[in-house]
Amino acid sequence: MSEQDEHRTPVSLNGLSADDPHLQPAAKNPATVEVVISITFVLGTILVAGFGAAYWVNAKPWILGATMGGGLFILGVGLVAWGKYLMPRGPFVEDRHEFANSQADRDAFAAAIVERGGSVVKRRKMLAGLLGGGLGIFGVVAMFPLLRSLGPLPKGTLFHTDWRKGSYAVDQTGRRVSAGDLAVGSIMTVFPEGTQNSDRGQAVDQTVLIRVSNQRFTTQKGRETWAPLGYVAYSKVCTHLGCPVGLYEQQLQLLVCPCHQSMFNVTNGAVPQFGPAPRPLPQLPLYIDSDGYIRAQADYNQPVGPGFWERG
Amino acid sequence: MAGVLALGPLALFATSAQANPLNPTATTRKNSGTPNSNIVVKKNGTVIKYGDKYITYSAPSSKLDALGQALFMENCASCHGTLANGVPANGVVGAYPDLVGLGPATIDFWVASGRMPAKDTTAVEAPRRQAALSPQQAEAIAAWVNSLQPSFPYIPDPHLKNANVSDGAALFALNCAACHTIEGDGDALAMSTFSPSLRNIPAYQVVEAIRTGPANMPRFTGNLSDKQVNDLTKYVTTEIQHPNNPGGFGLGGLGPVAEGFVALLLGVGFLVLICYWIGERT
Amino acid sequence: MSDVATPTNKRAQREALGPYGKIGKTLGELDDRLGVAKGGRTFMDKIFPDHWSFMLGEIALYSFVILMVTGIYLTFYFVPSSAIVTYHGSYLPLDGQKVTQAFASTVNLSFKVRGGLLMRQMHHWACDIFVGALVVHMARVFFTGAFRKPRELNWTIGLTLLILAIGNGFLGYSLPDDLVSGTGIRIAYSIMLSIPLVGTYLAFFIFGGNFPGTAVIPRFFILHVLILPLVIIGLVGAHLFLLVRQKHTQFPGEGRTEKNVVGSPMFPVFMAKTTGFLFIVGGITALLGAFAQINPIWQFGPYDASRISYAVQPDWYMGFLDGALRIWPSWTFHSFGHTIPFEVFVPAVILPGIIFNLCYMWPLIERKFTGDNEIHHLLDRPSDRPKRTAAGVAMFALLAILFIASSTDVIANFFHISLNTVLLEMRILCVVVPIIAYPVTYKICKEMQAFHGAGKRKTPNVVSRTSEGEYVATPTPVYSEDAHHELQPTVVPTFIEEVPEQPTESGTRTVER
Repeated sequence: MSEQDEHRTPVSLNGLSADDPHLQPAAKNPATVEVVISITFVLGTILVAGFGAAYWVNAKPWILGATMGGGLFILGVGLVAWGKYLMPRGPFVEDRHEFANSQADRDAFAAAIVERGGSVVKRRKMLAGLLGGGLGIFGVVAMFPLLRSLGPLPKGTLFHTDWRKGSYAVDQTGRRVSAGDLAVGSIMTVFPEGTQNSDRGQAVDQTVLIRVSNQRFTTQKGRETWAPLGYVAYSKVCTHLGCPVGLYEQQLQLLVCPCHQSMFNVTNGAVPQFGPAPRPLPQLPLYIDSDGYIRAQADYNQPVGPGFWERG
Repeated sequence: MAGVLALGPLALFATSAQANPLNPTATTRKNSGTPNSNIVVKKNGTVIKYGDKYITYSAPSSKLDALGQALFMENCASCHGTLANGVPANGVVGAYPDLVGLGPATIDFWVASGRMPAKDTTAVEAPRRQAALSPQQAEAIAAWVNSLQPSFPYIPDPHLKNANVSDGAALFALNCAACHTIEGDGDALAMSTFSPSLRNIPAYQVVEAIRTGPANMPRFTGNLSDKQVNDLTKYVTTEIQHPNNPGGFGLGGLGPVAEGFVALLLGVGFLVLICYWIGERT
Repeated sequence: MSDVATPTNKRAQREALGPYGKIGKTLGELDDRLGVAKGGRTFMDKIFPDHWSFMLGEIALYSFVILMVTGIYLTFYFVPSSAIVTYHGSYLPLDGQKVTQAFASTVNLSFKVRGGLLMRQMHHWACDIFVGALVVHMARVFFTGAFRKPRELNWTIGLTLLILAIGNGFLGYSLPDDLVSGTGIRIAYSIMLSIPLVGTYLAFFIFGGNFPGTAVIPRFFILHVLILPLVIIGLVGAHLFLLVRQKHTQFPGEGRTEKNVVGSPMFPVFMAKTTGFLFIVGGITALLGAFAQINPIWQFGPYDASRISYAVQPDWYMGFLDGALRIWPSWTFHSFGHTIPFEVFVPAVILPGIIFNLCYMWPLIERKFTGDNEIHHLLDRPSDRPKRTAAGVAMFALLAILFIASSTDVIANFFHISLNTVLLEMRILCVVVPIIAYPVTYKICKEMQAFHGAGKRKTPNVVSRTSEGEYVATPTPVYSEDAHHELQPTVVPTFIEEVPEQPTESGTRTVER
């Protein structure tokens, strides 16, 4: 039988003689391999030291990473090669000892639990029951501070925005929008005056103002006065998952949500015509006051944004 | 025509129907790219330049009219008609856009960016290409079309040294990133329309695009002042087009999609190959 | 002191130490105090099977080590606060903008701190690789049947680790409070809202109120750096303990039975290879951190709820959720004064719930279907179990399609197709591809089974043609040096005292007892 075949048979680690083929390196020329691995170690060390030097002179991040990464990689390759080619090549074998115990041991274990525990509980059922009840209640009330104290109750905050009758529409700098500002085909993000810098203003009140026409525009029946001079306003909070619907295509007259590509038709009340959004974007009724500023007639007529259980 | 010009900006603000209802400058806000801005240079009652220290808008020289007409007849009239009103020789009305009254910046943008002359007239939209006509030729065509019915906006010249790149970054995130992505690489929009990459656009064309709203892009007139447009232009031409990328290769600016590919194929894939070397087979 | 005395002293000292020198003495001292000698020898003798696919878990383990090391570094610089500051730093496009401290500290770490950007990028790359390695490792365990008795508990622990890793990754990349990750947090808030009955309460409790609030970044921080890592470390410890106690599985082959383990000893071979591999994983992560930019939050800018970017996919391991949200139709339920947003609830809560529960229950499901209650230490080749392999491939195909579906816009842009078309195609694919994948995989496995030695290298066959024109392939005996003896399990005595002088022809050893 050839030597190659011989070393494939696994042997136990114990009791091997020093010249057993299993203990020999796998490499045909161990001396050469040792030289090669030495070179990798030296190279790796130089690179790692190079990292130190690069750090000292505040080199660019890519140099820091290249030296550290290259050095570590090469050192690792050398160490693996040492283990693979120069150490005992094996294969070795060991027994799997049954870690499951004998049936007798198992029975004794079960007996200890059942009989010792059972005898205790059987005699003092009432005690066990009372304790169990107490611990159960403890578990429940322990959850109270862990959960309830985390935040306020939602109550009605999800149902309303800060838009009110007469709110001025302002841009992100607080400048009021007037009727002469937008050309047809234009879009801007507006907020009720005073909220443009607040978290709530940005998250909840954000509204897109689009000029679809030079004349009064009707998106749906009952909304004839909502879009004076062609200024249409919709909630910018997508009714799918709340991303700002900022993508306006003026020729297609679509508002597209960049997150999951719901597409809302601007001319018919932002009804979704493609994508996962379930409801139209609520429309904000506008009017233009005597100074030419664009203002809201009222708040949105429904909660803005994604759906939730209490939404109705 | 002289009467219209004498009324100046007010006439253009009128809500009455004009040759083109998409009036690009129906806004009264000051410093917003219309001749409401501070510095207006008039000669013979004609506005030849307006703007401020942020952006100056200039009318194309009337000397280019003849050249422009010749170029137009050669390159554009077959679709847009010899009167540039969107009625080509075969007489189908509305098949192609009416170019009259759109302003020189619109015409100049479409031609100088190579979108026009359109390579594929049946496509949903015309993308930026290697321009068939030089910038001077584009300006000439704009000059001639503008001579049919002088309109605004004029061809812009942004003064980037007066721009604030930080304000531009904030404006870009609010107004532009939704279509063009925050890194400015462009992406697919609804129904075979696409927002283009901003990596190759010269500064004056950025202003033109913002002010005129080409194709599906909304136009920004009174909602952005000249200062804001100038800031945006500086941000696009510096940070978007020449990102610092201190972390290494930018991976095409595709964000987590590209990062996922690299992590799985280069990272995990390469490491699995290393496992294949270290371990035994079978 | 005389010259004669010194060598004697030295030799006496050497002899006093015993045959194993100083090391032996030290180990003796340790054994006096800890009793480690016997256990230490047993531990060092432990045999680890060598197959390359058993190292995939190590990729995950060492990525986790790198995550911890780089993560500790990052905690020295990151400020987990939503307080607003004005950024004045070296990155000019942000100069003067009002940003949160979390964002500002991350930008400063990237630009001002020496090595900061490298650490940040290594941390992020290591996370992507970590989850990728977990998936690949889990696939190996699944397709080879290593989850069977007695290792069901380890499968459960491992699957929990995957879920925790995904969750911790999401928490981690949301910490800098930039535009892209903030959008992800908004989506997470809305998903919480969508849960019937308790959704609004859950969202308000976790976020401390309406979105975005100021509580979420500090809370995510403590979850990300303390609570989840503690649980992960504990579970990894349990996972490795079980692995050592039950010993690793192995493929069938020469000398390998249900009752033994064949491979390399822990010391020195396995330790050398695995430590080297740790350096390799670290090195690759550092090289990625050097040359491939990841998560450039300064370009994204700070999060603002009224701003959005296009092409905002989450990190790849969340991609299957994003894809499901994109392609699931807008079927909402709205009646009796209540709304159940199924268009969100199904793809984001129910679908992953079903998938992960299926994975958790798989050992039970397989036991029920095969009626196999035996202990297994030998692995299956995937083609040996066509049904399991086909089911796994079908599930993988579904997840892969959902993952691809999260890039609908990127795909549409790259191939210049209509976005609407791509999305509709994804809807079709996520049903059709898994359905096709099952029978195709099944057939391939069956074919591989029927063909002796299929899938192995060096399987020579004599191909002959019958008179009817049919081709027949017959495995042919090869030269004896090339014969793959290890494919036929042989009976090997497990305890060998002496090496015989003359091995017998057949390759087995006989021992005089």
